[in-house]
Amino acid sequence: MEQQVKRLEIRHLSKTFFSQKGYFTAIDDVSFDVYDGEFLVILGPGRCGKTVMLNIIAGVEEATEGQIIYNGKEWKGLNPEIGMVFQKLALMSFKTVIENVELALKFRGMKKEERREIARHYIKLVGLEGFENYYPRQLSGGMQQRVGIARAYAANPKLLIMDEPFGKLDAQTRYQMQEDLLKIWEKEKRTIIFVTNNIEEACYLGDRIILLSDCPARVKEVYPIDISRPRDMVSKEFLDLRTVISDNTDLSI
Amino acid sequence: MDSMSSKQKTIRTVLYWGLPVLAVVLIIIGWISFSSSNPDLMPTPLDVWERFIRTFTRPVAKTTLIGHAWASLRRVLIALFIAWAFGIGFGILIGWNRAARAFFGSIFEVIRPIPPIAWIPIVIMWFGIGEFPKVLLVFIGTFVPLVINTSAGIEMVDKINIHVGRIFGGNDKQILKEIVIPTALPSIFAGIRTSVSSGWTTVLAAEMMGAQQGLGSLVTRGWQGSDLSLVLVAVITIAIIGALLAVILQKLEKVVCPWNNK
Amino acid sequence: MTADKQKLEAKWSAYKETQKRENRKYLLLSAAGILTVLTLWQAVVMMGLVDSKLLPPPTVVLQTLMDKIYSTVPDGNTLGTNIIASLKVALSGFFVAIIIGVPLGLLMGWWTYADRFIRPIFELVRPVPPIAWIPLVVVWMGVGLKAKALIIFFTAFVPCVINSYTGIKLTSQVLIDVSRTFGAPNWLIFWKIGIPSSLPMVFAGIRVALGNSWSTLVAAEMLAASAGLGYMIQIGRTVARPDIVIVGMVVIGAIGAILSSILSRCEKYFLRWKVNR
Repeated sequence: MEQQVKRLEIRHLSKTFFSQKGYFTAIDDVSFDVYDGEFLVILGPGRCGKTVMLNIIAGVEEATEGQIIYNGKEWKGLNPEIGMVFQKLALMSFKTVIENVELALKFRGMKKEERREIARHYIKLVGLEGFENYYPRQLSGGMQQRVGIARAYAANPKLLIMDEPFGKLDAQTRYQMQEDLLKIWEKEKRTIIFVTNNIEEACYLGDRIILLSDCPARVKEVYPIDISRPRDMVSKEFLDLRTVISDNTDLSI
Repeated sequence: MDSMSSKQKTIRTVLYWGLPVLAVVLIIIGWISFSSSNPDLMPTPLDVWERFIRTFTRPVAKTTLIGHAWASLRRVLIALFIAWAFGIGFGILIGWNRAARAFFGSIFEVIRPIPPIAWIPIVIMWFGIGEFPKVLLVFIGTFVPLVINTSAGIEMVDKINIHVGRIFGGNDKQILKEIVIPTALPSIFAGIRTSVSSGWTTVLAAEMMGAQQGLGSLVTRGWQGSDLSLVLVAVITIAIIGALLAVILQKLEKVVCPWNNK
Repeated sequence: MTADKQKLEAKWSAYKETQKRENRKYLLLSAAGILTVLTLWQAVVMMGLVDSKLLPPPTVVLQTLMDKIYSTVPDGNTLGTNIIASLKVALSGFFVAIIIGVPLGLLMGWWTYADRFIRPIFELVRPVPPIAWIPLVVVWMGVGLKAKALIIFFTAFVPCVINSYTGIKLTSQVLIDVSRTFGAPNWLIFWKIGIPSSLPMVFAGIRVALGNSWSTLVAAEMLAASAGLGYMIQIGRTVARPDIVIVGMVVIGAIGAILSSILSRCEKYFLRWKVNR
């Protein structure tokens, strides 16, 4: 059973982008809770507000309206307990795998031996043992994503945000990564907010799914998922759940 | 793949290797015939070779060809190192900090379109024709492309990389050192390459306007003394050293930026 | 919803205000940068720290600029005559270089045999710094317009060829293959796909060529000419008129900048399909 402790609360979040020619609202009055230790999936059509919302939670962008409440207190700006895995990877091409993974630790001023130890642990966790001294360019897409995950884990966050991390992968790698991510999560539990536009992925991974509408993003519905893991993508309950969600969705696919 | 008859294949190979050889042969024939019929306009290859040897046995201005080449090269290297030290730092500053870019950038934009060669008369008026003004001129010629390329490289760093730095807890200095500058290294190297070729050209121009030693001075001497062979010897040496510098930089880039290699 | 809309409109006005203020701030900083230099310059000369015979203050330079528009002292031409003389030489060499260099580079990049034949000739011309051509060309052809234009041609030619060559070599193989499956003949693929897709690199080469042309022109005029901006500053030096030299330098820079921005306009027009990130 999940603990009912609220790690994060989003209250009436809105974001409008202004320019000389006009303004555009990407997020309109979004509110939801994130419980400690859960795997929360945010499902929504592409290109609208999801990445912005994550950036606001991570603290690199500001909301136009609304509040972020972390561990019961209002929070603005960067949060050292929040880590992020990016859709566009954003690995440093000039750093080796291990140098990429230890980035947050290096910023904190940790000594080399210590941070190498920790980095190696997480490289092993994501299954990349032996590739410590490779450059990102020499790795496949799936492997690069694993580096991103290891990097985020190494920063030891309490809350991990993942922005469509498997979006650019081919179907086979994607299924593998979904399985592996759940295994990693079981081994080292963190609170995860996982963003995707793929219903199947959402149903496979999440404890709860928050369904967002099309632009401007609003919360359409929250689906708690009771199916036990590992889930079978062709079982009746899974397919029923999928149908329910896809009927409600604005997704064009 | 369309299959080729072995006859077609032979024709292709012949053309592939034969055409460049043909071109070189035509050039040499052209040179020899033109110089034989117009000896005062163009020395023959033999003349040039003899003149080349003579620069060692009977040095011009008490210096052999190597001495002149080194004089030119030394001026460039000194100016380059100073320009690299200040130029890269300055480029990073105006690339990273918008206020600095506004304040210093404006006067830089005024200086920038003035070709380094146009500085020669005023620098000669101020400092004469010694070593310092030459190094100064090369510095001016190398400083500008370095700053431009470095600041452009810093400005072009993808915002997401900076987000990564911030989310993982880096302060400005750390982000600059660990993320922004390495990402801009290829651009900085492009600036270094441009500055080297620009410096080499500038030192030549400076020497042609007044110098005792240096390859440019040889060109002027040959020109004024109707010693075209000397001019050609100097020009060929200039070209070879210029090409060598470019190759060295290419190799250097592979070493400094290994992550781009296959 | 109207309340929300009002709030948004208010925020938008606030945003536009802040943008205006920011832009003003940076504009002021830019102006401050230039003013600081000018003031320091004027002060240094007026206080006698630097001899005004070596470095005339900005006021004198401005005066000389005004005078030179009509005066033919000391080089025998007005400023306008010099500018036109320089432009004539530079632009003729420049345009011939584009007309010959760009197609040549494109051809060399597309047809291997053209590449194999022309390459040796090109590699001989390329490493020679343009200035080194000046004595040779002058001996062969004197100091007329054609001779100087030829020197400019050499320096503008090289980047045009190199960049056009690189540009067409980078043509997407996918596009070429797709065209082949539609049955397009080689020359058509070259014309409709190779050339347009290499335009950005071609323009980059033209840009470098322009800079080289203008710079080499000044050198050529300083060494062998009787008119033009380079000639003007050389004379200024020999008669110890640093104000003329500085006026010349500033005008050279200004015209270089103007030519460059004209090129940018052309580039924007030809490349209007290109999306900037």
